[in-house]
Amino acid sequence: MIVLIVLVSVLIALFSIMVVSLKHPISSAISLLAGFLLLAVFYLLYGAEFVAAVQVLVYAGGIMVLYLMGVMFTDNEWIKITRQTHLQAWLALVLILVFFGYFGHKLYHSEYPAPAMQKAQTAVVKKSEAENKLPYLNRETNPRTVSVRLFSDYIYPFEVASVLLTVAVVGGVFLAKKEV
Amino acid sequence: MATKFAVILGFLLFSLGFFGLLARRNMITILLSLELLFAAAGINFVTFSNLHQNFEGQIFTIFLIVVAAGEAAIGIGLLIALFKVKKTANVDSANSMRG
Repeated sequence: MIVLIVLVSVLIALFSIMVVSLKHPISSAISLLAGFLLLAVFYLLYGAEFVAAVQVLVYAGGIMVLYLMGVMFTDNEWIKITRQTHLQAWLALVLILVFFGYFGHKLYHSEYPAPAMQKAQTAVVKKSEAENKLPYLNRETNPRTVSVRLFSDYIYPFEVASVLLTVAVVGGVFLAKKEV
Repeated sequence: MATKFAVILGFLLFSLGFFGLLARRNMITILLSLELLFAAAGINFVTFSNLHQNFEGQIFTIFLIVVAAGEAAIGIGLLIALFKVKKTANVDSANSMRG
């Protein structure tokens, strides 16, 4: 299990590096698509089945198509003839390396204690740790539990999210349609 | 161990997305870097949902994906608006207040 997690994480990191380093936006978009599909595998490994399905359907299926359409709408000539990075890119690289080094060191040397759990849960976790697996959240099936919580405890955020999506779609159409 | 690994991965994705946001000139790549930042937040939510054995993190990840979808729609709208005015996707070209 831990081998699979390491493999998937290394691949996600590689594809993310490709997203910010490749020259052409289509290369970046396809790298991000591969990274998102691997991220769905990562979510599966951490016991979030429903989120993994949503990740594939919405991100890999919907949002990436939007970005590829954006690439289609814009010109591709200046990509061939000019630099794709600012002059400040080296400064940004140094800044990010320092940022990553400092806080990555802090995160690596932090403790992540599990909270006090009930006895049955602790037994499940102990058992899966003994078998070198991650503790799964499979007391019930995951999509059922997530959707029951979504439609009971989180019903107001859910409705607000629908309003947000409507506003975003109307705003996007307005911005793209506006005559200049 | 698995939690620590995932937190480091999330922070790596955040750093890469932040770097892309600062360094790139093409607006599409900038928006893709923004998606990397969203992915970093999602990794952290799911990881700590797993650590704490509850479902709040997963539900928040779903809301995060909703927000990312809205952001993508607005971003592509802005990109097309920029391209209509300047005939390029280079964000450096948008350096004047009117037209």
